[in-house]
Amino acid sequence: MQDFKNKLYNYEAEPPEGIWGKIDAELNSKGGKDISVTELRRRPKIIFYGITAAASLIIIFLISVIFNNSEKHQFENSSASLTQTQKQLLSSKKIQDSIKLNNKILEDIINSKKDKNFLAEIYENSLNKLKKYITIEGPEGQPVKISPKVATLIESADNEFPPKPVWNKKIEKWKQIMLSSTLSPTSTNLLEIVQVPSSSDNNE
Amino acid sequence: MQELLYKKFSSKMYGVCLRYSGNVDDANDLLQEGFIKIFKNLHKFRGEGSFEGWIRRIFVNTSIEHFRKKIKLYNVTEVQENTVEDTDLTILDTLAEKDIIAIVNELSPGYKTVFNMHVVEGYSHKEIAEILGITEGTSKSQLARAKGVLKKSLEKAIDKTSKIP
Repeated sequence: MQDFKNKLYNYEAEPPEGIWGKIDAELNSKGGKDISVTELRRRPKIIFYGITAAASLIIIFLISVIFNNSEKHQFENSSASLTQTQKQLLSSKKIQDSIKLNNKILEDIINSKKDKNFLAEIYENSLNKLKKYITIEGPEGQPVKISPKVATLIESADNEFPPKPVWNKKIEKWKQIMLSSTLSPTSTNLLEIVQVPSSSDNNE
Repeated sequence: MQELLYKKFSSKMYGVCLRYSGNVDDANDLLQEGFIKIFKNLHKFRGEGSFEGWIRRIFVNTSIEHFRKKIKLYNVTEVQENTVEDTDLTILDTLAEKDIIAIVNELSPGYKTVFNMHVVEGYSHKEIAEILGITEGTSKSQLARAKGVLKKSLEKAIDKTSKIP
């Protein structure tokens, strides 16, 4: 049995002439097809790497798309919130401007050497007739509406001359009420303030 | 250098090609393809084992790859074949190389490949199964059938020789 195996294993035959010529030509040709032993093993690797690269690109693309969308959404939200903040800033700016203007008017009235009541009337009857009240900054920084006349009265209460004992007392009480409360006086509640002390005075 | 190498091993490797292919045309193609592979991959020979063994393995692999499409080995469930003992083939020992090759080449490509790989080259059924993409059972079955066909061919050959006056 081993004999025929050996005969088959060691079987030799003379190849036809010309085979070497073909091999030599194939080896020397520049465009020769590379048929390496490991070619078949390499192919799956190349395919694997190709698929991996493609999958990576797809994942990167998807992540970038998702990231862009979320960023856009975030930007829209922030822009919306900015708009709201801007609105708030604008409205507060308006209030500040109004307070500044009114303070300026008040200062003009107070610092003027002319009759303060007359000036207040002038302001009241000025072109801006709709504006019957001026806004001043309260003790807690809140806007407080008062009439120019009352403003003049408050300012003159600090002066000793001309003596105004009744008004000074009333205004002092009103100041105390204002400091303890953040309520803005209106034309009606200022009247009440004026009236409450007077009634208490009566009771006394 | 390459030509010297070719001259030294071409006869032996042509024998391998003929055993697997069974015809001269395919054997010529295999010889050419095999040597081109060897020359392009000479640097990959690490010196582990004999150089001739490395070359032979390349030729066997080339032959298997070449005939892979032609060989149709169906995975079959392992059935009890009429086992042919190796002793039944001992008559092959008495035959000349050319006659043995002629009888082996009568086998179908599938049987011939498994027979060559297992009996001549010494591959295990597990290795054959991995290389050819079949089950071990199929490899064993193919070998058993190949031996059966060989036995019949030998019997016919003996009958013919005995009838000759």
